[in-house]
Amino acid sequence: MIALNVNGEDRSVDVPDDMPLLWVLRDVIGLTGTKFGCGIAQCGACTVQLDGQPVRSCVLPVASVGSRHVTTVEAIGATQSGKKVQQAWLDLEVIQCGYCQSGQIMSATALLDRNPDPSDSDIDAAMSGNICRCGTYTRIRAAIKQAAKA
Amino acid sequence: MRRLVRILLVRILLAIVVVIAAGVAIFLFKPAPLPDVSVAAAKLPTGQALIERGEYLTRAADCAACHTTSGGQPYAGGLAFKLPFGTVYSPNITADKETGIGNWSDAEFVRALHQGIDSQGRNLYPAFSYAAYARMTTEDALAIKAYLFSLPPVHAEAPKNDLSFPFNQRYVLRFWNLLFVPDGPLSQDEKQSAEWNRGAYLVEAMAHCGECHTPRNLLYGLDNGKKFAGAELQGWKAYNISSDKTTGIGSWSDEQLFDYLSKGHADGRGSATGSMGEAVDYSLRHLTPEDIKAIVAYVKTVPPQTSSDKAIVEAEPPATLTTSIAYAPSADSVAQSGLGLKLFQGACASCHGWNGEGLQTPYAALRGSRTVNDPDGTNLIQVILKGAHMTTPLGKQAMPAFANAYSDVEIAALGNYVLAHFGGKQSAITPADVAKARMQ
Repeated sequence: MIALNVNGEDRSVDVPDDMPLLWVLRDVIGLTGTKFGCGIAQCGACTVQLDGQPVRSCVLPVASVGSRHVTTVEAIGATQSGKKVQQAWLDLEVIQCGYCQSGQIMSATALLDRNPDPSDSDIDAAMSGNICRCGTYTRIRAAIKQAAKA
Repeated sequence: MRRLVRILLVRILLAIVVVIAAGVAIFLFKPAPLPDVSVAAAKLPTGQALIERGEYLTRAADCAACHTTSGGQPYAGGLAFKLPFGTVYSPNITADKETGIGNWSDAEFVRALHQGIDSQGRNLYPAFSYAAYARMTTEDALAIKAYLFSLPPVHAEAPKNDLSFPFNQRYVLRFWNLLFVPDGPLSQDEKQSAEWNRGAYLVEAMAHCGECHTPRNLLYGLDNGKKFAGAELQGWKAYNISSDKTTGIGSWSDEQLFDYLSKGHADGRGSATGSMGEAVDYSLRHLTPEDIKAIVAYVKTVPPQTSSDKAIVEAEPPATLTTSIAYAPSADSVAQSGLGLKLFQGACASCHGWNGEGLQTPYAALRGSRTVNDPDGTNLIQVILKGAHMTTPLGKQAMPAFANAYSDVEIAALGNYVLAHFGGKQSAITPADVAKARMQ
């Protein structure tokens, strides 16, 4: 059994040590807001936060999470910056198909927590690993700036 | 009278030539005798205890690294070794009677490990590190055989070697053996501790570190005057692991060496990839903490060798790292970079981060790694092209291979950016360098 804290709740899951955290979240715990994209940490759709740091859950063995708190898109709206980001996303209608957006929101929130007033290049550096095949990048950038001002 | 003397002289000369030729012929073609292994065999445990001892030693000697292909059956051979004079393939060392070593006697197996001679009496090529295994005790060699023979036989014919003349003439190796193969097991150094002696045995007779980390001379023997000074093989650098403080491992702490060997990663020193990653994966991570400590104790006493390798890690990390945070590079770093930065932020930053500490996992921490401090970029390009796979205490860790994702121009730009940002090094990796690395 592996002990995890997910979205503030202590859980115990009966899974192999090397199962990726993404599988545990989606298939064992049932939190399906986090998406599977490429499976090799190259697209960012599976981004969750560990103690506020964005990580790619598709390649993260669950045993390596340890005591760090896992936050997923289901709970990010409960944080101050998460709430601002989600509101800006709605205001600017960032989302098109939506598949990548939970990952985008997790990365954007982590960025604003560290850097309350990011420049264009700061946004590029933090967000380039989150791919959007609908090409919503300009709206993502605008929404991050709006959330920063909110 | 003078004619008689001349005839006599010619005859004496001929006789000398014939005697020398006969001597050389005997040296080259006389079948090598088999060692008597009965005394050693009597000292060994039997049954499961012997097999378990053999399993540990087989891992310590890292037989799997060469005798298993990527994705292939363990010990079934077939891995290619591209040498300057052709390609040699590792043989199947499972107990299969047709394609493996199932018909080998104990004595034949010991002779192979100690002298590099197969069951037919033919010389084996020194890509097989018998010059190191010659230092192994007969007991340990027999335990390894017992373990290999306890595994299911795998029917797999290794490809034929592809070597040019005269290297395809195996008997030539008898001269090489005379020069480079030690006789008998490693002797104890009474002036040193038991731990040091155990470390020496593990390093020299088992782990065969020198086979990669010691440069070779013109005859392809190990140049032990430059022991552990580092060498390049199959497109990768095996770094200097002598106790030199600048170019070797002299400034590593015991803890860093212990972690790097047993877990494939040390804080402030990066992670093991390529062949060293395999050595950790197949071999070193399975050793007991006591044996790893013994290896550290011994390796630290290998005399310093200053090498010309420029993969030097400064004590202080470069300013580009100290002014970056985990997910944003410093403003200076952004200003000076183009394509390389763009690629890094898209494909690399989400795991590696910008401050060298690793974002996804400590195994992605690049600060202090020699690979990001080597202006030649040799191993860096290889890792980018081929990726990395490791089994660690934190589970399986993997970096994808980017060979098919990016062009030579892109990988060269990425390499130069990584060296500048993480190592503070000026480099000039060209697309041609990347193209060359792809061939290896």
